[in-house]
Order: sequence, then structure tokens, then C-alpha cells
Amino acid sequence: MTPLQASPVTAEFFAGTARGELLVRRCADCGRHLAPRCVSCEVCGGTDLAWTAASGAGRVVSWTVLPDRAGGPPVVAGIVELAEGPWLNVRFVDVVPEAMTGGLAVEVRFVRPEGGEAVPVFAPAEQTLG
Amino acid sequence: MGGFAGARAPVIAGLGITELGNVYGRTSADFAADAVRRAVADAGLALGDVDGLLTNTGLAADLTLGLARDMGLRDLRLLSEVQAFGSSAGAMVQYASMAVASGMADVVACVFADAPLREPGAGSAGAYAGTGRRLTQGWRALDVAAGLLGANPLYALAARRHMLAYGTTSEQLGAIAVAQRAWAAGNPRARFREPITLADHQASRMIADPYRLLDCCLVSNGGVAVLVTSADRAADLAQPPVHVLGGAQAHPGYPASSDSTFGLVSGASQAGPAALKAAGVTLGDIDVVELYDCYTFTVLLTLEDYGFCAKGEGGPFAATPGVLGPDGSLKLNTGGGQLSSYYMWGMTPLSEAVIQVRGQGGERQCERHELALVSGNGGILDHHSTLVLGASPRERSITGSGS
Repeated sequence: MTPLQASPVTAEFFAGTARGELLVRRCADCGRHLAPRCVSCEVCGGTDLAWTAASGAGRVVSWTVLPDRAGGPPVVAGIVELAEGPWLNVRFVDVVPEAMTGGLAVEVRFVRPEGGEAVPVFAPAEQTLG
Repeated sequence: MGGFAGARAPVIAGLGITELGNVYGRTSADFAADAVRRAVADAGLALGDVDGLLTNTGLAADLTLGLARDMGLRDLRLLSEVQAFGSSAGAMVQYASMAVASGMADVVACVFADAPLREPGAGSAGAYAGTGRRLTQGWRALDVAAGLLGANPLYALAARRHMLAYGTTSEQLGAIAVAQRAWAAGNPRARFREPITLADHQASRMIADPYRLLDCCLVSNGGVAVLVTSADRAADLAQPPVHVLGGAQAHPGYPASSDSTFGLVSGASQAGPAALKAAGVTLGDIDVVELYDCYTFTVLLTLEDYGFCAKGEGGPFAATPGVLGPDGSLKLNTGGGQLSSYYMWGMTPLSEAVIQVRGQGGERQCERHELALVSGNGGILDHHSTLVLGASPRERSITGSGS
């Protein structure tokens, strides 16, 4: 995974991942949880967005399997819907491509590529979420 | 956008298509100038007649307003760059049509050009994914780190979601690829004209599951331009007029949350019906359908959203024998499209529609070509444009639709 550098817009998010927290946005006006990159609320248009830690639990919305041209293991990546509602584009780890299913329960982990910020990835949840 | 009638009703009077494909050593601006000159000549006009210019640059991003100066165009009354990605061609024709109808300009050239392929052997996927590979900062860098680099994996996520919701299969997507290749056989401009089978589709290498190579468009260098002028001006020109009867856009703005219909419904669901209504026609009146086909799935989703079949039934519809292909009941992507012929963003479906409505399709010409429906799609299903084009002005199209 390419090492990522924090920038002014992502600094707070990566400060969270460094602590092992997955931060999302929460609208101060209507309470809606929003994806980290949102700059205004998708529901009410509010711009007072606070950072808040998500539980890290989610479910698979969609995924793709990308063959590795060099013959290594394929990359599995896709969309996770967090328990709080927002969608994230993520890498899946510890998964077998053939075992991926829509709605699969997953949970966040953090990988720390050398020379870069900690990045959230998702693995199958260790216990089924209700 | 529509309801045009009378002398200033907008008409596509010129079409210019440069050499396309693996043509190296030329810039987008060079292709664009070539395309505009060809469109002007095609219409039987002189370059000095052009008083409006809209440009849409592709991935190479080297086509700008400077084209007007490069070409020596003077005293333009309309000049702008347009960028709504794959929906731009339709959008440019809409803006040009409104400019002509209002009297703001008389002859508006709309041009797209791109030159992402820079040297022999450069892979098309590399050309389109290369720009993001070194991204290490900002939110998009997180997508790249996840592996979601470029259009292939992101469109794959859309197709997968549709598969999960409706049971759509790879074989159903393959039916679209096979049918379009059959059409490409009749198009001298098509890059790939050898027939393929569903087995060929299933055996083609995986690009971004569920997309195989034959689900993905090719990448081309080149340029395409159309000239929009008024009906009275077009009456004396060289080509059969192609009337712009209606148009619409839709940009859904998918939320990044559980409310998103990404992969299930696109802007086509709004733009299609709006364009048909503006043109005063119904889906049943349409003779020729030219849909943006960056991927087989884009065609499938647009067919559903335009109403050719029920939501979720695009897969079974496409795979039903006798529906698609040159012998099928639905004349769809008659030039082979972006999958088999050439990838000029929205100019691919638009150029083929102009050719068909004029009746100049040669061996692939559709017998009935009074009305064409054209789509453009940009971003990751983020932007949609629709055009309804006709061989006759609005009044006659409606009168003739009763059969």
C-alpha cells in the first residue's frame, strides 16, 4: 500500500487513525453521521460538522477483486457502510474473494505502511453483529 | 430543453471525425482543430462562418480556449470550455442549441479531443489510471491506497451492487459486448471488427471483477466536432439536417451513505424522460439508440433507466435472443460504440447518431432512422446528458410518430 501523507484537509482524520480511531463527521444541526470527506451535511446542508469516532463496525455494500499483474494475491476493495450510516471506500483484508457477500459484517483495522499515515482497512467481523 | 420550432430551431449540420485510435504525436488541440475544420467542410461552410466555439478536453487536458486563437477564429459571439466528462458532448449540443435558438450565435462548433495514448504499447488502462497512481495526499489518495484507482474498479463496484440487488450476471453483460462487436463489423472506423462470442467474453482476462477485458471500452486518440446551426441556415447546406428536438441533464449527487442509489439508478432515469418529453416524443417512437458505453454495465443501467425494460431487468433484457445486435429489435450502439469502435467520450454515441439519422451508416445503416436517442455519462455515473435527434423538425416528428 502506497504510504499516505496527511494534508490540511485530512490531518484530523489521520490523527484519529494514529490513535486507532476511525473518525467520521457528525452534523451539529441534525445529528447525521457523514463520511470523513464531507464538508456539508447531505441532509440539512449544515456546515458545522464535528469529528466523532465511529464504532468501526460495518457491512459490505459492494466490492471488486483486482488481479495482481505480477502474480501476487489479488486486491479486494470496495464500499463499506458503517454502522453509523456513512460509506467508505476501503481495502478488505483477511478475506477470500470467493467468500465475499453483500452485507458481510466487517470491522476496521489499521495498517501502518512505513513512512505513511495509518490507514483503515476492513476485515470480516470476529463476531456476528446482531 | 426543447420545444424548438421555426427558423431558429437548432440543427446539427456538420460532423467532423479525425483519424482515430493509436495515432501518436499529435496534441488534443491539434486533433480538435482538425475535427472542427472537417465539420465545417462537411457542412459546406467556411471557417469564418463559425461564430461560437465550445471545447471539451479529455484526459490529456491540453485542449483549451486557446483553440480559437490557434484556428484564427475571430469575433466569436460564444466561447467556453465545457467539462462534465462523458456527458459533455450532449451538454455542449444543448448549450449550442439554446444559443442558436436565442439568436446569440449562428454557427456553434462543439468539439472534443483527447490524446491519452502517447507511445506504441502504452496500455489503455495505464493511460487512464496513471494520473492517480502517485497521489499520496487528500481524500482521493485514500481511495487509491484502498486499490480503487481509476474508473475500472469504481465502475466495477457499481456493477457488483446491481448484481447483488437484481441478480445481474457477467454473461448478461457479455451479451452487450457481443452484440456491439457485431455492429462494429459494419463500421469502417471501428478498431475491433472481428466477431466475438459469449465464450470469448467469458475467457477474456479479468480487469476488475466483475469486469473482464471485453466489458471495458478501449481508449483512443483523436477528435470529433459537430456544428450546431439554425434550421433555416441548415436548409441550404451540404448535409441532411439533424434536428435537436430535445435534451436534458441529470447529476444525481449520490450521498456517501445508505441513501445512495449508486449502481442501481443513474441520472438517466431523470434525463431520459425529460428529454423525450421536451422533444414531444415517447420511447416507442425512437428508432435508433446510441448509449454511452464506457462499460457494458453502463449500457445495461441506462437501458433500465430510460425505460426500455423494468428496473432490475436489464440483464435478462439484454440477454434475450432477438433484442440486441444488427438483427435485433432494438437498434442499439449501431457503430460498435466505445467497446469496439472508438472512445471519444460522449462524441462516440453522438457521432453515430448523426450518421444514422442522416442515413449515412453504409452497411450498418438502420432502415428506420427518423428519431435517435443519445446518452452521455460522466464521472462514476455522476453526470448524465440525453439528446433526442430527428431527421425532421419537431412538428413532423410528432405527426410521423403515430404509426
